[in-house]
Amino acid sequence: MMFTIARKEFVEALRDGRFRVGGVLVLVLLVVAGLLARQQVDRARVERDAATSLERENWLEQGDKNSHSAGHYGVNVFKPTSPLAFFDRGIEPFVGTAVFLEAHRQNQSAFLPAQDATSMRRFGELSAALALQMLVPLLIVLLAFGALAGERESGTLRQVLSLGVQPRTLVFGKTLGLALGVATLLAPAAAAFAFLLVSSAPGETSGMWMRAAGLILVYGLYLAVLLVVSVTVSAVARNARTALTVLLAFWAFNCILAPRLASDLVHRFLPTPKLADFDAAMQKDLQEGLDGHGARSVQLDNFVARTLNEHGVSRVEELPFNFQGHVMLESERMAGEVFDHHFGKLWDRIEAQDRAVGWAGIVAPMLALRSASTAFAGTDFGHHRHFARAAEDHRREFVRLLNEDLKFNARPGDHGYTAGRELWEKLPVFALTPVTVGTAWGRAGSSALVLGVWLLAGLGFLALSAEGIRVGDA
Amino acid sequence: MKLLFLELRLFFAGQATWVVLLVFAGSLIYGSGNGRRAGEARRASAETIEQQNRDWMKQVSDALEVQAIAPRQIASRPTTALLPPAPVPALAVGQSDLLPAHEMISLFRLEKPSEGKAELENPARLMAGRFDLAFVLVWLFPLFLLAAAYDLCAGDREAGTLRMILAQGTRPWLWMGRRALARGAPVLVLAVGATLAAGTMDAAEGTGMRVVLAATVVFAYGLFWLAIAALINAFARSAAAAATAAGTAWVVFVLVLPTLLNVVVESLHPTPSRAELVAESRAAAGAAEQRGNELLSSFYRDHPELAPPGMQVDMVSRVLAVQEEVGRAMDPVRQRFANAFLEQQRMVDIWRYASPAIVMHEALADLAGTGYWRHRTFQDQIATFKNELHGYYSPKFHKRLPLTKADLADFPAFEFVEEDSARWTRRVTTGMAGILVLAALVGVAAALRLRPSRLAA
Repeated sequence: MMFTIARKEFVEALRDGRFRVGGVLVLVLLVVAGLLARQQVDRARVERDAATSLERENWLEQGDKNSHSAGHYGVNVFKPTSPLAFFDRGIEPFVGTAVFLEAHRQNQSAFLPAQDATSMRRFGELSAALALQMLVPLLIVLLAFGALAGERESGTLRQVLSLGVQPRTLVFGKTLGLALGVATLLAPAAAAFAFLLVSSAPGETSGMWMRAAGLILVYGLYLAVLLVVSVTVSAVARNARTALTVLLAFWAFNCILAPRLASDLVHRFLPTPKLADFDAAMQKDLQEGLDGHGARSVQLDNFVARTLNEHGVSRVEELPFNFQGHVMLESERMAGEVFDHHFGKLWDRIEAQDRAVGWAGIVAPMLALRSASTAFAGTDFGHHRHFARAAEDHRREFVRLLNEDLKFNARPGDHGYTAGRELWEKLPVFALTPVTVGTAWGRAGSSALVLGVWLLAGLGFLALSAEGIRVGDA
Repeated sequence: MKLLFLELRLFFAGQATWVVLLVFAGSLIYGSGNGRRAGEARRASAETIEQQNRDWMKQVSDALEVQAIAPRQIASRPTTALLPPAPVPALAVGQSDLLPAHEMISLFRLEKPSEGKAELENPARLMAGRFDLAFVLVWLFPLFLLAAAYDLCAGDREAGTLRMILAQGTRPWLWMGRRALARGAPVLVLAVGATLAAGTMDAAEGTGMRVVLAATVVFAYGLFWLAIAALINAFARSAAAAATAAGTAWVVFVLVLPTLLNVVVESLHPTPSRAELVAESRAAAGAAEQRGNELLSSFYRDHPELAPPGMQVDMVSRVLAVQEEVGRAMDPVRQRFANAFLEQQRMVDIWRYASPAIVMHEALADLAGTGYWRHRTFQDQIATFKNELHGYYSPKFHKRLPLTKADLADFPAFEFVEEDSARWTRRVTTGMAGILVLAALVGVAAALRLRPSRLAA
């Protein structure tokens, strides 16, 4: 019986003019958004590759100079784009695309694409993710609000129940039928995205398919939640108008209000430090040392004494290497500890904020979905932190290489020492090891769990709502 | 008038009305408070920077009282160019959370990429946007207005009472207009009132015009959505169909058209790669650096009046000559970048009329002083200031002239000059006129449809 009801509901959904028109429009938007985003991602990749090779050329062609001067000349590294960014660009427009690596300083990533865009971007970005997060749920609401409330209003619900159909069979049959309708609408979009994924990242698809599977899972859960909530409301509402009003209010809260409200409230309870305070605290620790480490000058004095003692000499000029280079190596190590402490704290705070917003998905499922979607697409803060960390590791290796050259190749007191292309070539090209699929699943896990809880609770309420349907009430 | 009061009484008799109005009022208060807090934070940060600038100038002045100083001692410290806090910050956070409000300008790094830093912010928060008054007015205000006015006559038509009403001989458009006013007025009054209140909270002096314009734009935006509600009701056969159409209209105007315009603008006028700009700039710097001495000699050939005694070349003069060369090489690239971006913004200015939500968004940011154009003015003034800084110090370095107390009055200092008010007034009023024209067109379409024969059918 349930499948008969599902088939009838499915056929009705396909015949529904609103669903057909709305569905086709959403489908067109989905595909257009996907294609345009793919074009943008491809362009970004080409531009990044061009900039990377030009920057490498700049580095190699900088001419002969003191190796420490080369450390100040520095090098830019550029952030690679995730192949799945065409589906969900996440925070990518709002984080820097390049990091300038130089001696003594850990720079933050710079050049945010959103800074080079018009203010229209603040309305959101037309992407496949946006369409699935906001437009398809609206379509589901419009499709499902009258599923039971409409029948109750027109009197057909009483007739159906009087035929001996169990309310639970009726409710779940209708849900299944509507789910099939939505799935039919989304199937061509899924096929188009599979094609875009295959053609956009040849050779990178092994992990990508697992990520894509994660995306299918969380979007499937989310849309199922929206459908179950819609049918539940329709089952308990007195008439179609009330069901529609309640569902539109829920949609507006979930899709429009909750994202801003949640990030705002989370920021209030877990604030990000002010830039001036962050910079001042870091400068203070660079000069005075982290707690328990002693001031920088004292640490360096101790370091000099230790070095002289280890080599059994009384003056730095007697050391078998260039002392300046030796001190710079130590100085970078000390600064690295301070950078790790401050940037670590900042990044931990941002991740804590993001986790809190993800858990707020208990109230509005879209928050959990966004969190999981960007984690799988490789466009969340965790992935950006991975890049920033890798860039900083590369910086330290690059500065170490230059300072060691100064230490071992420059004669003590030789201020005219220069190195050349041979040394510059020793600096490896920056290559980012991708975040593993397991890590992405781990990050998205709690949000997927929240969506799972929503679905189970929704199904429970759906069953309960069916219990409440009686021939007399209908 | 009696009938209007009757409609108002009927409207306020519903419990749902009070829920809608209370939630809307709460959103307005919360949004205004957020904008106000963001404004306070900006003001505090600006005051710190201004104090630092004053302290530095005092140090310089004290030092010059004692003796003349080599220009390098002063020029090596960066000057901070500050965009003053927005005139009406509580209205809209706008782009102020994304774009840096100050920039460090160093004589020896004039051609390096901008060193402006925006406040530390979670990128996910930037992506979500702020819950400020502009968000409530652009996104939520139409939703609440439609919630109050989506069923102007569709429900009556569904219940069969519309025929009875029309049988009284009342003119349909007048009857519907009265009902729209009764249902929309409370929401409109809240929105306009909150705009006026937020505009006067912590606003800088002389911002009355901005606040009045903001309230007028909000009113016009409200009229547009009431006209949409009327048009929907002229067609809808049931309250549920009217609600569906109202929801769809909101999605189209507030969600789809702005994001679509963004995509189209970025596809038609893609911004050149910032990454390539940086790499090209470094390539030009590298090439100029390697020709440093040659460049300096050629500079002195062109400007013999600046040549130092004995034509001795020093490091700083060489850096300045290299910098000039880099500037010349990079000017066309930077121009290409700026032009593409300007084209994008111009296209937005033309196509903003496609959706009143875009006009409203742009107008509120413009009036608050947190929009694109004020920041663009800041960037243009920074470019001019860089030239001024170079023009002031360059001859002193080349001719090895020390700075004396007499130079103090001419020290280049950045001072932001607000954009000419006629320009932002023109942008806002043309936008507002656009909204009113759209509202009138929709309203006329609704009135034409509102003939008794058609309405009761």
